Amino acid sequence: METNEKTSKIRMIASGVIPFVFVILMMAYIFGPGADLLDFGVSLPELTIEKINFEKSEIHVTVRNTGPIPVSIVMADVNDRIQPAAIEPDKFLERYETALVRIPFEWNTAEPYAIGLTTDDGTRFERIAEAAALALKPNLEFMTFFAIIGTYVGIIPVMIGLLWLPFIKKISKNKYHFFLALTAGLLLFLGLDSIEEALDVSFENLNGSFNAVLLIATTIVLSFLGLYYASEKLTGKADSLKISKPVAIGLMIAIGIGLHNFGEGLAIGAAVGLGSIAFSTFLIVGFALHNTTEGLAIAAPMSRGKLMIGKLILLGIIAGSPVIFGAWIGGFFFSPLYSVIFLSIGAGAIFQVIVIILKWIREEGDKTLSSAAVVSGFALGVLIMYLTSILI
Amino acid sequence: MVSVVIGISTIILFSVFSEAQLEQKTFVSHSGQIINTSGDVLDPLYTASTVEFDPEMYLRDFNYGIISESTNGKIIREFTIIADDDKIQEISPGVFYNVWTFNGTVPGPTIRATEGDLVRINFINNGSKSHTMHFHGIHQAEMDGVFEIVGPGGGRFTYEFEAGPVGVHPYHCHVMPLEEHIVRGLYGVFIVDPKESRPPADEMVMVLNGFDTDFDTENNFYAANTIPFYYQHHPIQINTGELIRIYVVNMVEFDPINNFHLHGNLYQYYPTGTDLVPSFYTDMITLSQTERGIMEFQYTFPGKYLFHAHKVEFSEKGWVGLFLVKDNSTSSEVQYGN
Repeated sequence: METNEKTSKIRMIASGVIPFVFVILMMAYIFGPGADLLDFGVSLPELTIEKINFEKSEIHVTVRNTGPIPVSIVMADVNDRIQPAAIEPDKFLERYETALVRIPFEWNTAEPYAIGLTTDDGTRFERIAEAAALALKPNLEFMTFFAIIGTYVGIIPVMIGLLWLPFIKKISKNKYHFFLALTAGLLLFLGLDSIEEALDVSFENLNGSFNAVLLIATTIVLSFLGLYYASEKLTGKADSLKISKPVAIGLMIAIGIGLHNFGEGLAIGAAVGLGSIAFSTFLIVGFALHNTTEGLAIAAPMSRGKLMIGKLILLGIIAGSPVIFGAWIGGFFFSPLYSVIFLSIGAGAIFQVIVIILKWIREEGDKTLSSAAVVSGFALGVLIMYLTSILI
Repeated sequence: MVSVVIGISTIILFSVFSEAQLEQKTFVSHSGQIINTSGDVLDPLYTASTVEFDPEMYLRDFNYGIISESTNGKIIREFTIIADDDKIQEISPGVFYNVWTFNGTVPGPTIRATEGDLVRINFINNGSKSHTMHFHGIHQAEMDGVFEIVGPGGGRFTYEFEAGPVGVHPYHCHVMPLEEHIVRGLYGVFIVDPKESRPPADEMVMVLNGFDTDFDTENNFYAANTIPFYYQHHPIQINTGELIRIYVVNMVEFDPINNFHLHGNLYQYYPTGTDLVPSFYTDMITLSQTERGIMEFQYTFPGKYLFHAHKVEFSEKGWVGLFLVKDNSTSSEVQYGN
């Protein structure tokens, strides 16, 4: 009996493993020696200039081999004029390998520069820095600068949004549903906004490598599922954790928005760090208005619990402060790949928050989510965000 | 355990560090700064480097052919020129490009004859495309290398004509698409000396050319004699008080003009070299496609003198070089190139 069970178990494992063995055999056959029959077509080199930093008397260019074959970089130019340069660690780049090209150059602040790199087959790859600015060093001055920007763009607007709480508290159930739906609408727009941003960054910087569109989709799904699972656990255990369900939902919303704002901070920091924009006061006002609505999203569910000012402020900080951390990382260590990933995590987080809110509305009574209050709230939320987004 | 980890990591770190120390390389920036790097130097401008083709050899290499005499006492100069189009050549350090060649090089060999000589060229096309040789000059229509297409894989044709007129002329392939057959490198220089030869001089040939390595109908590289910046890190050595004669031919495509500026001096210029009296005394001539001429000058003061396109974009992409003028008062006898 026991041996029977054992053999059946072995059989089961074997039947699970056998297909893998064949996959490995097939791979070995395709990539193995003497398998030239699959080598047809022409592979072209592909380079992506990920980052251009302007240092004192030097331009630093971070480049990645995003093509299907190894390449060597043999020449650098500035504005299509050949320059002596160095490449570290060396000029041979395997697939996905990066290198730093140092070009001694007396650049002028605020002027545009086209940086070109030529591979061994004579193909030139170019990227334009719109306005040269001395690369940010992670010193106290810039840490403070980004912290202040982050506070204006992230924390203060969210806090202002939270001030709607007393108002939402006093309104009828139907109107409350309206505001919850409005919040969901706001968030849907934020999620879409993050996806657009992620796509933009990937098209500009990743050149279609890493299967950027699918990377974004995959990251969104994983982020959504991870947070969804966590939030179900959290709201399920709300009582044992001595927090009310509204607080648990508010917390999940704050975390979701926080992850989104981290991505937004990365974008802001990178934009300043790369000199691609002058950080105008107008832009800050735009971001601030845009983000005020995020406070409303947290305030809506919290309005059904007791008024707990301390917890509310804490949630505001959880949602708003990641802008600061994002701006630091984006400004000092910009990497397009990580930006795309974090923006996608943010989008997934936002979608998860929307699902929580919609479930909350259903629990509160609107089972089909089709009342005039819910539909109009949702629509208005998206519309408000679109209108404020024009300001950015 | 901890100490082992620290020990191992110290060894690793130390070896990485010392390796980096050993492999420090240096190069010079435009502003004369010396830059250190642990990586590779990408510098075709100032760092002396050589590639397969040697512009120094080409510069003073004149081919007079196999000489015989016809029954009526005419000098016959016979040349064999083989066309190819499958060669991958390093045309700037590290940059490999498919050049089409006459006798394996870009430019092809400099063919030289005296006015009235019979020039006979046994042309063999070993390429995979049709090619011809079209000489600028005076000859019969059927020797013009336009309609007498020479097929690939060993096609043959014999070009025969009387050398003339006196001057410096280009020759090039004239098969369609013509631009491609030229920019790939199927061109060279044909010099016709006057019967009474020009005064002795240190003679050289400069073909101003360019390469469009990424096929966007704009040149990525420019040069005098193919290799960008070559004469900048390998200065051409000449002597004070010595007559220098340059046969210059502009073969640049895509860009409507090219030019030649000489530093610290002016030159007598003979457009197309057809006249024995110079037309200009200048330090700057402008050349359109296949425009050419002869320059004559001599330096009084020793030192380094630039020559380059004053269309500076071209010089920043390789069409720049140096004359290293040595004081002739100490050297005994002037050696001429021919």
